[in-house]
Amino acid sequence: MSADIERETSGPATDLTLEQLDGDGALQESIAGFYGDTRAGLLRKAVIGGTTMLATLASPPALAAEISKRNDVRIFQYALNFEYLQSSFYTETERAGTVARMEEAKAVWARTLGAHERAHVKIIKQVLGDAAPKKPLFDFRGNTESESRFTRTAVAMEDLTTALLTGVTPALRSQGLVAAAFSLLTVEARHAAWARHLAGIVPVAAAFDRAKPVSEVDRIVASTRFTSTLVPRTTARMEPKFVG
Amino acid sequence: MRTASSRRHLRGATFLRAALVVSAAVGLAVGVPSVFLAGGSGDALEQAASHQEAAFAASNLPEPVAPAFVPGKPKLLRVSSHVKRWAVVRTVVAARVAPHARAPAITELETRTPEGTTNIVLVLGNRVDGAGRLWIRVRLAVLDEPSAGWVPREALGSYGTVTTRLVVDLGSLQATLFRDGQTVFRADVGVGKPAWPTPRGDFYIRNKLKGYASPMYGPVAFGTSARSRVLTDWPAEGFVGIHGTDRPDLLPGRVSHGCIRMRNDDILRLAKLMPVGTPLTIR
Repeated sequence: MSADIERETSGPATDLTLEQLDGDGALQESIAGFYGDTRAGLLRKAVIGGTTMLATLASPPALAAEISKRNDVRIFQYALNFEYLQSSFYTETERAGTVARMEEAKAVWARTLGAHERAHVKIIKQVLGDAAPKKPLFDFRGNTESESRFTRTAVAMEDLTTALLTGVTPALRSQGLVAAAFSLLTVEARHAAWARHLAGIVPVAAAFDRAKPVSEVDRIVASTRFTSTLVPRTTARMEPKFVG
Repeated sequence: MRTASSRRHLRGATFLRAALVVSAAVGLAVGVPSVFLAGGSGDALEQAASHQEAAFAASNLPEPVAPAFVPGKPKLLRVSSHVKRWAVVRTVVAARVAPHARAPAITELETRTPEGTTNIVLVLGNRVDGAGRLWIRVRLAVLDEPSAGWVPREALGSYGTVTTRLVVDLGSLQATLFRDGQTVFRADVGVGKPAWPTPRGDFYIRNKLKGYASPMYGPVAFGTSARSRVLTDWPAEGFVGIHGTDRPDLLPGRVSHGCIRMRNDDILRLAKLMPVGTPLTIR
């Protein structure tokens, strides 16, 4: 087995579930209230797909007193990785032809979210300049080729992004960046609500959205293994043995 | 003298008064109890409006903070038939004639090419089988038909995309590279002699080799999924390459053992333009 293959962790990817994303049970409670326990149980078991990303931040609350401009950069570096993840996910789904097979309303949603996430990537890259991290290699493991898996993953991704931005935005020092991050946050929250509506899940689960610490976001994202550790090596320094 | 801020507050108070009057009128019309109707007179309305006005005027809230950046206008993805995808072969897997586990195997895909690079396959389509398993149709580096087969998605890794396509015309002895459907490169080529013909068909670029010291292959060589039908016992499975040459005087012509030769400056130019994963048509 090749070295690059060996770096790949063996075993199946761990799927996210609504339960994981809804630690305090607010969503389940809300779903039960709207649809009854059977529906809530069904949704609780629904797999949501997932993602792999590396931690670059400590939990914001612990560092609240020490936030700095450097921290602002790190927060946006992390946010950019998340935007990379989302934009790659929507773009790959379109390129796989999955969006073209959707009913019109859903296709409009998927295309719009893709366009938004690509715009987010572009502007954050510009803002970070040389400090912008390179786009990781993503392997969405079939979640872009199936409409149902795509939808569930999109719900999870948008919810997670909203929870992430809710947590890190108050930790930004620059007021201008706080304002910009809030504008991203509200858009991501609308994405989440739109995704939930199309997935048949109640769009707004609770009267108050709880932030997720970056460490928890990381754990969830890492469990899905969407960031590929299998980086293809397609160029080699060796003499050809072609037929000539 | 009124400041801009006080003018805004005054405009707000006027609007508020009007809104309260409308609210009261609506309340009356539909019979809904309203705090504004408590006194049952215009005085009560005025008092309520004054109270609200004072509350809003006293707040003296700051203007919104200007965001440090604003994203540009979102752009929908351009749907293009020129975008093709390739995938890494993650695990050794049988490619089958149909998208289900009991379909006959065509060949076994390795994780590495004979050159030691990561094995990749060109993606042609996908389908879900009756058990809900996702299968991907891929181009195969095989001699015989079918030249495409089905593998389970979990055997593949991440996708790469290209918008390029290389066409080698055995009649005109020219290679043309297209990007997004537009010609970006054209060069004379040498192809197989009649005894060792260059195979026709649809293939893809599997890897790029460089940094070697073999003048007959020039400075750069691309590995393709095409294989010689004649030199089947050639080392490393008889694959057809696209490479430079130490005999540019023979080009264009039918001069090779099946490989596609280019002048060295042409292959160096092509190396800057053509990514691995590019579909290749030899016609």
